[in-house]
Amino acid sequence: MSDTTTLLAMFEDLEPAAEGLDKLQQFGVKDQDMNVISGIPVKNTILGRPPAITHVARIGLFGASLGVFLGLFFIYGIPFLYPLLVGGQAIFPVPQGLIITFEMTMLGLMGFSFIGMFVDSGFPSYTPKAYTPEISDGKIAVLFSCPTGEQEKFIEALKEAGAESVEPVEARHL
Amino acid sequence: MTSIAKPFARPHAEEHEDPRQYLMHDPLPRGQMNAMVMEAMHTTSPIFWVITGILAAIVVFSLGYEWYRLIMEGQGLAGVTRPDYWGVFLVNTVFWIGISHAGTFISAILRVLKVESRRPFTRAAELMTTFGLVQAGLSIFMHLGRVWLVYWMFPIPNERRIWPDFHSPLMWDLMAITTYLLCSTMYLFLPLIPDLAMARDRTQGGWLKHFYRILALGFRGTEGEWKNLTTAMNIFAFAIIPVMFSVHTIVSWDFAMATRPGWSSTVFGPYFVIGALHSGMAAVAIVLFLLRSSMKHYKYFIRAEHFNTIGMLMLLVSMAWAYFYFNDYLVPWYGGDKWDKLVQEYTEKGPLWYLWYTMLICNIVVPWAILWNKKWRQTPWLLASVGLLINVGMWLERYLIIPVGVTINRQPFTWRQYYPRIEIPMTIGTFALFLLLYMLASRLIPLIPVWEVQEGQEAHMLRKVGKAEVSTLSDLE
Repeated sequence: MSDTTTLLAMFEDLEPAAEGLDKLQQFGVKDQDMNVISGIPVKNTILGRPPAITHVARIGLFGASLGVFLGLFFIYGIPFLYPLLVGGQAIFPVPQGLIITFEMTMLGLMGFSFIGMFVDSGFPSYTPKAYTPEISDGKIAVLFSCPTGEQEKFIEALKEAGAESVEPVEARHL
Repeated sequence: MTSIAKPFARPHAEEHEDPRQYLMHDPLPRGQMNAMVMEAMHTTSPIFWVITGILAAIVVFSLGYEWYRLIMEGQGLAGVTRPDYWGVFLVNTVFWIGISHAGTFISAILRVLKVESRRPFTRAAELMTTFGLVQAGLSIFMHLGRVWLVYWMFPIPNERRIWPDFHSPLMWDLMAITTYLLCSTMYLFLPLIPDLAMARDRTQGGWLKHFYRILALGFRGTEGEWKNLTTAMNIFAFAIIPVMFSVHTIVSWDFAMATRPGWSSTVFGPYFVIGALHSGMAAVAIVLFLLRSSMKHYKYFIRAEHFNTIGMLMLLVSMAWAYFYFNDYLVPWYGGDKWDKLVQEYTEKGPLWYLWYTMLICNIVVPWAILWNKKWRQTPWLLASVGLLINVGMWLERYLIIPVGVTINRQPFTWRQYYPRIEIPMTIGTFALFLLLYMLASRLIPLIPVWEVQEGQEAHMLRKVGKAEVSTLSDLE
């Protein structure tokens, strides 16, 4: 049996949400045990949260470097393997190489950034999750775990900070 | 006695301006905005279905039956023959690629520059990019003729053991357009995810619920999800701009790399890019007018200020286009090359002289005469009409460059006037398909990025300075 309960606190605005997060920190809830869910992106400094880590840019850069190699292969590798002599034209031309390599690099960068967003966010994911549709209607939700016995203390403190509701949450299909 | 200052002749109009006329200063609760967008999507009149049916019938006839005939009987059904092997299909290709440019321009450049008025209409513009590129792709296939051999252009070994020649601008085109289509579709999808999640949350059961559930990918709006999404969107916004420029530059090289008179021009790259933006911006004005007029509640989201922004961009782009056109015109005029001069004279004084004048009137005279005036820019139907005329002008410009341009070459015994034949219904088909896709999309996906509008409204506030309330923007992003 689990000795912690997951609670979802709903806030109307950012200020009470920031205050509620402060209270949670004061009660010893670690940053990694809380999550803010919102209908718009909120800068981490507004809520006093540590910056979220993302690997999208790194994955994108990896894709860009793959794109460079693919472009170089198209423009130089293919003529090397299967030379196609067209009157007076260089087999390994630089200007054409720049064009094809540029296009492949950008395709790699953006394609892998897109994939990176999926991978880093765990998309697609259709398993049940803690969520309420009110979030997409503009509410700010704070999702956190607390010791089951101290649940009331947390609820009271968050309501004092301005939470509209603080309730145990169960994962549901979105 | 001397006066301290001359009195104003009349009070400034701005003194009476209500800041709440701007979307960013007229916020509604997010739930209400969501409800408005969802209601707009699900409110369809019988006229909508009648128009959809007519468009679908046109598409089936022109892109189904007529294309089938073209494939079965060959390119002889088209007006192309020596020396005009490049006809209306390629005019349409260049035209639709041009239309697709405005989506990226508006969305990416205005996002990078943080132009706030972009927020409600970026998706409508991005959708134009994707659907415009679909028409461009179809037009290339029409021009190809033997469409079943398209794989010869892919870098895979085929039975003839000939690999594609990457020295050719046509191959650069294939790579650039494919890159642009894939990237702009991904760029359309990224900011759509939170709105699809919103649509999922507000849809009760049925196939639409499954549709939104699958496309929303399980998005909730956690800190990590937003961070990943905004990082990816920023990368796309910066990276897709040079790709956009490269695509139409490469399209121009299809012509400029040839030694044909009238085409071999070093200014063709930027001239084509600005031409693409000219037609694309004009198309955005038309789309915004149609959406505002036909979709419920869209008058709240798309306002006079947005038409004003588009109108100013259209005027600026029209001036830039005129500058590049003059550059391209001047060199053959004074350059002294006999063949270039012949092409120019044929265009201006030949049997199609009226197309040249119509093009100049639509692309320069009309926008300059109307768009200088703020009140006129803010009049949706007028701006859309100017947009329509610009698109007529830009289509004619491509027609004059391609089939009219190739009529005059260095072998006078081949000179022949081009007349489109099956190209006409198939061209109508591409326009019908574009409209059909757009109409269907307007009923399936939220065309207003509600989360971006709310984000902008959260960042804006009115501050009292002296006797006036001035707009203040906080850096919340």
